[in-house]
Amino acid sequence: MPRSPVLFTGLMTDERQALAAGLRRRDPELLDRLIEQHQQRLYRYLLFLTGDPALAEDLFQETWIRVLERGHQYNAKSKFESWLLAIARHLVIDISRRKKFSSLDELADPESGQPYEPSDDQANTALELLVTRENERGVQLSLMKIPAYYREVLLLRFHEELGLEEIAAVLASPLSTVKSRLYRGLEALKTALSEGAA
Amino acid sequence: MKENVHARAKELFERALVEGLASADQTWLDAHLRECQDCSGEAARTQELLRAFRGVTVSLPRDLAARTQFRVRLHASETAQTSNGGALLWVITAASWLLGVLSAPLVWRIFAWAGSEFKLPRLVLEVGFVLWWTIPALVAVAMVLHQRSGARGFASATEDVGR
Repeated sequence: MPRSPVLFTGLMTDERQALAAGLRRRDPELLDRLIEQHQQRLYRYLLFLTGDPALAEDLFQETWIRVLERGHQYNAKSKFESWLLAIARHLVIDISRRKKFSSLDELADPESGQPYEPSDDQANTALELLVTRENERGVQLSLMKIPAYYREVLLLRFHEELGLEEIAAVLASPLSTVKSRLYRGLEALKTALSEGAA
Repeated sequence: MKENVHARAKELFERALVEGLASADQTWLDAHLRECQDCSGEAARTQELLRAFRGVTVSLPRDLAARTQFRVRLHASETAQTSNGGALLWVITAASWLLGVLSAPLVWRIFAWAGSEFKLPRLVLEVGFVLWWTIPALVAVAMVLHQRSGARGFASATEDVGR
């Protein structure tokens, strides 16, 4: 028998409340489980954003340290995944400022000046090595040609299948920004793909 | 006019992917795609692109989860030690301050007795009394600084282990 939406929402909230309580207690078993559960999604997100496997790995570990330290700030109103990705995103922005490669401020506003891009050669070869399926090679190469702020929303929407509101929460941006980036990102990806094929 | 129809179809198709469509728009789009080969071809190509995009997989570094779990646990135990040590230090400082206040008259009498017994100048007595009050605070500051430098060393060591 299918669950009613109200019951399902209630269960989700209970689950999140339990999660929030565990994070407040800094429960090590819970953290171990969360790391296992979200490793693929978080690492993929960080790799798509930075294009650098070593940096993505460092940021992956740093993200979980932040989760440990700031677990009490998770209020169970949003999905844990959105909160986790938002933490990871802030770390990417911090590190890009400290390392003085193109600032992720531009990730927040693609229309202002130069877009954020990791150092291209290193990023591209690294990402190429890690993307394993041969038949997705065209898309993979095209992805590397489009700016990180488009890669990010495309990944969140079409790969991670987050809702628009969830993406807006991760980006801390208005819904209209998320939508316009998705439309432009799709266009950019198609253009990059057709240029690659030509 | 026809161009407008194709442009609308393209716009609706993209909107369907990004934010979904109202049923009237969906019906119109479906009908148009059945009739128009160009638009249905474009739609199929976009769907194929997204399918390929979803198929892109990324290999995880070896033992990433295990190494992260190890590092998080180390960090948790380190911060727990620091906060316990910090609380203990506060308790000791408060107790020492309270004892200092309560014992001040007695200490001053002892200093006065020592001064008259050993014929010490008043300045020496006053400096001695001030030092009696400041030494516990200096010891506490030294302990805090020592603890902080220890914590920094430990943190960089755990980072190296985590790598």
